[in-house]
Amino acid sequence: MTALTSHLKLLEAESIHIFREAAAQFRAPVLLYSIGKDSTVLLHIARKAFWPAKPPFPLLHVDTTWKFREMIAFRDRTAREFGLDLIVHTNHDGLARNMNPFDYPPSVYTDVMKTVALRQALDTGGFDAAFGGARRDEESSRAKERVFSFRAAGHRWEPRRQRPEMWQLLNGRLGKDETVRVFPLSNWTESDVWRYIALEKLDVVPLYFAAPRPVVTRNGQLIVVDDARMKFEPGEKPVTRTVRFRTLGCWPLTAAIESDAADLDGIVAETLAARYSERAGRLIDHDQAGAMEMKKREGYF
Amino acid sequence: MQVAELKKEIEAEQLTAEAPHGGALLKLLTCGSVDDGKSTLIGRLLWDAAGVTEDQRAAVTLDSRARGVNGEKIDFSLLLDGLQAEREQGITIDIAWRYFETDDRRFIIIDSPGHEQYTRNMATGASHADIAILLVDARHGAKRQTRRHAAICDLVGIKRVVLAINKMDEVDWSEARFRQIEADFKVMAESFNFSETAIIPVAALTGDNVVNRSTAMSWYSGPTLLDYLETVDAETAPVDAPFRMPVQFVLRAGGDFRGYAGTVTSGRIAVGERVIDARSGLGATLRRISTMDGDLPFAAKGDAVTLVLDNDLDISRGAVLSEATRRPINADVIEARLVWLSETPFDPEAGYLLRTATDLTPVTSMSVSALVEFEKLASQPAHACSVNDIADCRILLGRPASLDLFRDLPLTGNFVLVSAIDGTTVAGGVITWAQAGAPAAGDNVFVIDRALLARGLCADLGDSPADQAEFNRRAQELAVLLRSAGVPVLVEI
Repeated sequence: MTALTSHLKLLEAESIHIFREAAAQFRAPVLLYSIGKDSTVLLHIARKAFWPAKPPFPLLHVDTTWKFREMIAFRDRTAREFGLDLIVHTNHDGLARNMNPFDYPPSVYTDVMKTVALRQALDTGGFDAAFGGARRDEESSRAKERVFSFRAAGHRWEPRRQRPEMWQLLNGRLGKDETVRVFPLSNWTESDVWRYIALEKLDVVPLYFAAPRPVVTRNGQLIVVDDARMKFEPGEKPVTRTVRFRTLGCWPLTAAIESDAADLDGIVAETLAARYSERAGRLIDHDQAGAMEMKKREGYF
Repeated sequence: MQVAELKKEIEAEQLTAEAPHGGALLKLLTCGSVDDGKSTLIGRLLWDAAGVTEDQRAAVTLDSRARGVNGEKIDFSLLLDGLQAEREQGITIDIAWRYFETDDRRFIIIDSPGHEQYTRNMATGASHADIAILLVDARHGAKRQTRRHAAICDLVGIKRVVLAINKMDEVDWSEARFRQIEADFKVMAESFNFSETAIIPVAALTGDNVVNRSTAMSWYSGPTLLDYLETVDAETAPVDAPFRMPVQFVLRAGGDFRGYAGTVTSGRIAVGERVIDARSGLGATLRRISTMDGDLPFAAKGDAVTLVLDNDLDISRGAVLSEATRRPINADVIEARLVWLSETPFDPEAGYLLRTATDLTPVTSMSVSALVEFEKLASQPAHACSVNDIADCRILLGRPASLDLFRDLPLTGNFVLVSAIDGTTVAGGVITWAQAGAPAAGDNVFVIDRALLARGLCADLGDSPADQAEFNRRAQELAVLLRSAGVPVLVEI
């Protein structure tokens, strides 16, 4: 038996409750697996919720083809190790149009390769519910979202029309053309996630740990060069620096931080002392004001 | 050595006999009328208690200047009002969840909107809170909406309320004004079941008595808001409450594993003890409490577990597992107090479903008997109710549901009312009275089950839909005959 603090035990039990409610109420759920630390916790709790059976839903990864190589390797290893169905979806129209994070503004690229791709994958699979690892402490529009977050036709989030959600009661009865996003980790914070990973001894993508990596600096943000597709500005050359990531996404759009935290202890300590919010390193969130809310209204997670 | 510290925390908790389930985490609601400064107060609390990161501070400082509402001052409400419409209009529309921790405690702050139009969002927030901060503007005292919010806090079961008298700077830090509002509040609180109230004079804009003690109000010697929140007791559940676990999901796995997955909503259960399915009255002995981390010897309120019994009760989602002595009520008539949340008013002809812990029961008929009015907080006879009303009603169910009275066991005594047409949640309520319907099986109740019928009366029937329909018809007919002969019957096919 593992030991958790009473606070983490409470959070874990709440998340398990949410998983079970959704699995019981929805016809065809799917787990949005994005490989990062939140997905790691999400998947671990999904396994706990249905143990000794396997989670009664597949994993879905929306692959923009610009994820870090270590993320893809970790994804495939995880699905294999736990014997889970993994659906990988890429927006091939976008790919055919050579949509990439260097030649297009982050908002356009994200819309095509992430938001549209996600809608395609959910529609193709006929899924009526998708679990996601989003937390309310990440960003101000997420701080407003329900655990069962209903989406109108076309996956639109209508923040002014959210359903009441009282006590522990989760009402998953869908109206016409509605689908739902389910957020079992709603009440977790970034430091809760790391503390849980440390105590449960969960495996995470090595990119979270500090190591020497090839880095270029753009607009004050540290970009790690992950493969040969990097488009260098004139005179730009990668420099080896010891960095790590607080959050993982498409490598050209995800900034690293300087850090010596090479193990979980170091990360937990650094997170508790953090003076900057986690998504400060997500370039797509700052492209325009209220960027996350806009994306959510269009059907992004 | 962060992980080592966490392990120390765990060891310390294990030494104290009962884990501090209520103490480790405080869920805190802010409510009150519009413009009384709720978001500003919480923004100030986060700002001064270090719940805000550097980039958020920079963004809020920048936004405050661009907006210029408070001159050069920082607009703390921007930390909470995260939706574009909220920032544009300078109001709170939906609840915001914020998280922070001090050395003594972890907090979840739920900031709720004051506008009457968004009461349903406030009710959502209130239902998750252990404690409420009810805000009033020192210049105006309690308003109609303040009383409505207090009534909703009471309805959803909040027992501890802090009245924060805000904008004390606007009344020259007047003790006389404070005493007057305090006296009014004490009268109002008599209408409710709050077990503990506190009254604190604050000024959110300047931060007086929020985190830092005010120098302008030397006449006040009580705690600052943060002092109070760090020390208030959050635990409300009685220690000897009866065991309940509503079944969420029946888990089957390789071999013959069959377990009932759910969260314990009350009491505790240990391996070897007797559990009863409240609806059928059938019992079994608890053989295992199964989790991925290994089997547990017992499970208590709040634990999400899977129970394996020594014999199969043939139950499914919606059943409530209980201890043998103090059981839930199998009710087919309930009386309830609810808050109406839908823009569409209550319609006695519309179809509704009652969602209790894990059950969803069709409503046969429903009527409203009274409404709470928000001037004197008295009940008045009524037959209609619409959005933001608090109403007393009577509900007849299409079949018995296992439930408790809210005042005894909140998590099996609350419900939401669901529209059968579009699935939306139209009301949230608490059960105040319940009448047992058909008898529960037990020693003297005859259970008609599938195996019994298949042996004789229905031995000629196969698996085709037509045969199955005939099977059901015969079962119901048999039940009618037995009941008319005075035999209590349950049909479980």
